Amino acid sequence: MKKYPAIKFKDGKKYFFRFDLDTRIQHIILAATVIILVLTGMPLKFSDSSWAPYLYSFFGGSKMAPVIHKWTGAIMLLLFVYHVVRVVGGIITNHIMPLKREGKMSIGRVTMVLVRLPMIPNLKDLKDIIGLMKYLLYFTNEHPHGDEWTWKEKFDYWAPFWGMFVIGITGLIIWNKVLATQVIPGEFINLCLIAHSDEALLAALFLFIWHWYNVHFSTSVFPMGTVFLTGYLPEELMVEEHYEHYVRVMTREGLESEIKPPHGGGNNPTICGEPQDVTSDTPPTTAPANDPMQQGGVNS
Amino acid sequence: MRLKSRSRPLWPLSILTLLVIYFLPAGAQGSDVGNCLLCHKYPGLSRVDENAEMRLLYVNEEIFNQSVHAKVKCEGCHTDITKIPHEPVKPVDCLVLCHIIEPAEEQKFSHKSVEKFLADSVHGKMDEHGKEKPFSEDMPTCKDCHDNPMFRPLAFVKKVRPGIAEDALGRCRVCHKKEEFIYRFYNHVTTRLHKSRSPLNIAESCARCHDDPELVARHNLSTMARGSYGQTFHGKAANLLDESVPDCLDCHVPKGQSVHQMHGNDDIRATTHPENRGQICGSVDCHPGASQQFANYQVHAEFNKEQSPVIYWFTTFFIILTGATLLPLMGILFLDLLRRLFPNASFRRRKEKP
Repeated sequence: MKKYPAIKFKDGKKYFFRFDLDTRIQHIILAATVIILVLTGMPLKFSDSSWAPYLYSFFGGSKMAPVIHKWTGAIMLLLFVYHVVRVVGGIITNHIMPLKREGKMSIGRVTMVLVRLPMIPNLKDLKDIIGLMKYLLYFTNEHPHGDEWTWKEKFDYWAPFWGMFVIGITGLIIWNKVLATQVIPGEFINLCLIAHSDEALLAALFLFIWHWYNVHFSTSVFPMGTVFLTGYLPEELMVEEHYEHYVRVMTREGLESEIKPPHGGGNNPTICGEPQDVTSDTPPTTAPANDPMQQGGVNS
Repeated sequence: MRLKSRSRPLWPLSILTLLVIYFLPAGAQGSDVGNCLLCHKYPGLSRVDENAEMRLLYVNEEIFNQSVHAKVKCEGCHTDITKIPHEPVKPVDCLVLCHIIEPAEEQKFSHKSVEKFLADSVHGKMDEHGKEKPFSEDMPTCKDCHDNPMFRPLAFVKKVRPGIAEDALGRCRVCHKKEEFIYRFYNHVTTRLHKSRSPLNIAESCARCHDDPELVARHNLSTMARGSYGQTFHGKAANLLDESVPDCLDCHVPKGQSVHQMHGNDDIRATTHPENRGQICGSVDCHPGASQQFANYQVHAEFNKEQSPVIYWFTTFFIILTGATLLPLMGILFLDLLRRLFPNASFRRRKEKP
């Protein structure tokens, strides 16, 4: 496992480690397959619209577009399997096995390990959402101090995760409908088609409105955030979105003197010197930065 | 001024000249025996009839000559027209004995045989006991579906381009000498051998009745057929101009029978009868190996609480899910955009540490 420095310095600017190469490659494959699937699928969902025949014939019409769609879907499902294997493998080697070696295996401890995984929503996320609402509705001028992974990233992770099951399984059934109907009744095919296409529309709208706003159109990152390519997030975005984690990393790297004030109005560096509130549901701060568990799928 | 006075007698002459040139019979017009096109060739020729409906009386000769009735000239079907100018015409009766001699039987041609099929089908006006069905005036007659369709000749020799395949004509010329006969028979045979309409076209023509909400309600039909067909992959691909997907006729007409022999779902002769359904989907060209269960796929399910409650609530769930996911996020997005305009605005400032 390659060791990634927590902070990179380039042209006098700090960049903070977010994603290892494996995660970045997974994300690129996911993004590419999603876009191809949307382009080959939506003309069917909206087949009576004026643009549909043109877009569909661009992908070879009803002879070729379904073939492209199915194989792209297959690639995406393989990626999903790979991702799940990596995550489960990471949990076992990094968390479960050490527990076993120390003879501390118990249901309670394993549950604690699972609950503290980086992508599991916790109380801090709820606080951040409430804090964000306060900030957006002008009750405060302080942006919530996000942890290493904020609720947005967790949302962006679990949305495709759930989508993989709903769209993937129904897609496989529709693809192999003759075989599937040896077991399931034909009426289920209707439901599969509805689930497949409606969930896909939800996923597409979610990605192209919400996710693209966060990583492309928001004034903080316009025209494009580069973290998905480099794996490193610039300091000002780190301050804006992940202040709590930022302070922790800077402290760990011995750069307390250079910690910037939090995002938002006011300019009060003294807040940074204070010890962070560590609640029981924040992930342990000692997690190594290259923990393979930190494989968020889609991240803002 | 002089020029003006000089030119005055010239313009009627020039118009007359143009008219003469215009009326010179073109090559094809020789076949217009009754000279009907004398009037009917004008694109604007129309009138408003007694029912206040606009009737276009224009005949585009070029299109007509491409159509399946190109050889049957006007008087062949409009038998009540004997003189020009003519009286208001009666509707064409398609079952009339034609002056065309059918070469195989050497009999005069007629569509009479279709009448029996249609009367016996779900579209017949009488029920099996010879009683008139309710609302029998809704039942289709020939011209409700047939509108003198165009030839769609196949191109099956090393090309998939529709139209006359010159390579194929070479085969005809081995025995047949008359060019006109060759073209006509090539057109006739190839048109009869494959669909004369695209699936979308078929679906649209059935929709004229089957998507009419009042008619569907009158006859107690379970679906707006075209609309629900459009929700299936078949219908969607048809919308995208695919010609290989099944249309209404592929499932509703028994294999090897005339398209006029459609029956209702409760008729044991119907392909769509629950006992026969499996055989439609499982045909070699479509879904070989498909089981009876496969055929229980609801082809004509609608987003409709009465017709398909399960599908209605299932779809509703996804609509709610989509709204509940996207609307809050889009709200946050909108507020976030606004927030960026006033980065420091706030009711309460951050607490200053002493």
